Amino acid sequence: MGVDLIFRIAAIGILVAVLNQLLIRSGREEQAMMTTLAGLIVVLLMVVKEIAVLFDTVKTIFKLE
Amino acid sequence: MLLKIVGSLVVILSCSFLGLILSRDCSRRPQQLRELQTLLQMFENQISYLSDVLIEAFERVNRVANSETGLIFGRAAEILGKGEAQSAANAWEQAVRQCIRRTALNREDEEVLVEFGKLLGSTDLEGQIKNIRLTMEALRIQEKKAEESRSKNETMYKSLGILGGIAVVIVLL
Repeated sequence: MGVDLIFRIAAIGILVAVLNQLLIRSGREEQAMMTTLAGLIVVLLMVVKEIAVLFDTVKTIFKLE
Repeated sequence: MLLKIVGSLVVILSCSFLGLILSRDCSRRPQQLRELQTLLQMFENQISYLSDVLIEAFERVNRVANSETGLIFGRAAEILGKGEAQSAANAWEQAVRQCIRRTALNREDEEVLVEFGKLLGSTDLEGQIKNIRLTMEALRIQEKKAEESRSKNETMYKSLGILGGIAVVIVLL
């Protein structure tokens, strides 16, 4: 699960970089910006579950319940 | 596992196909605008030198062209022949509206063509020829615009299709 997620995020990063270059080269800076933002949001949505787990762990470690 | 691979292949292939279709439309538009200019030139010659009736001129242009753009002329001749329209302008407009779907032309080009029909068969020979010249000039401007957008968009649509397909697969995997 963990390694799989990292690979997926890496692939999205590469794709977004290529798309960004492509759109900038054809003179569509705004759409390039939008794709970058979309990539960021997708990655965040994938990561948000893991972040929640991290917070839970921190809470249990320091007994903040 | 096998299902996943097959599914992702299908998604990538369909997305690349979509990009390919869009880029092909981009390259077909300037070509068809050029074709239309040639056809109008032919039409002008027939009216001015052969003094053809409109139906005959339309039909002859359609026979020579034998393509999507020539189809507009053929359809106009058909409508005129059957007597479905009140005037030549009306018949031409109907033909343009019906046949524009099959071509790669957009709304602006459609309006230019309809505008050409408005004066069709309502003035003397000189007026007709001037009208044709004016339309050809407008089509030339449209062609220049289409050529610009082609060089900008053709490769972009192609690679955008493939990359978009890959992106969808990665997100869904």
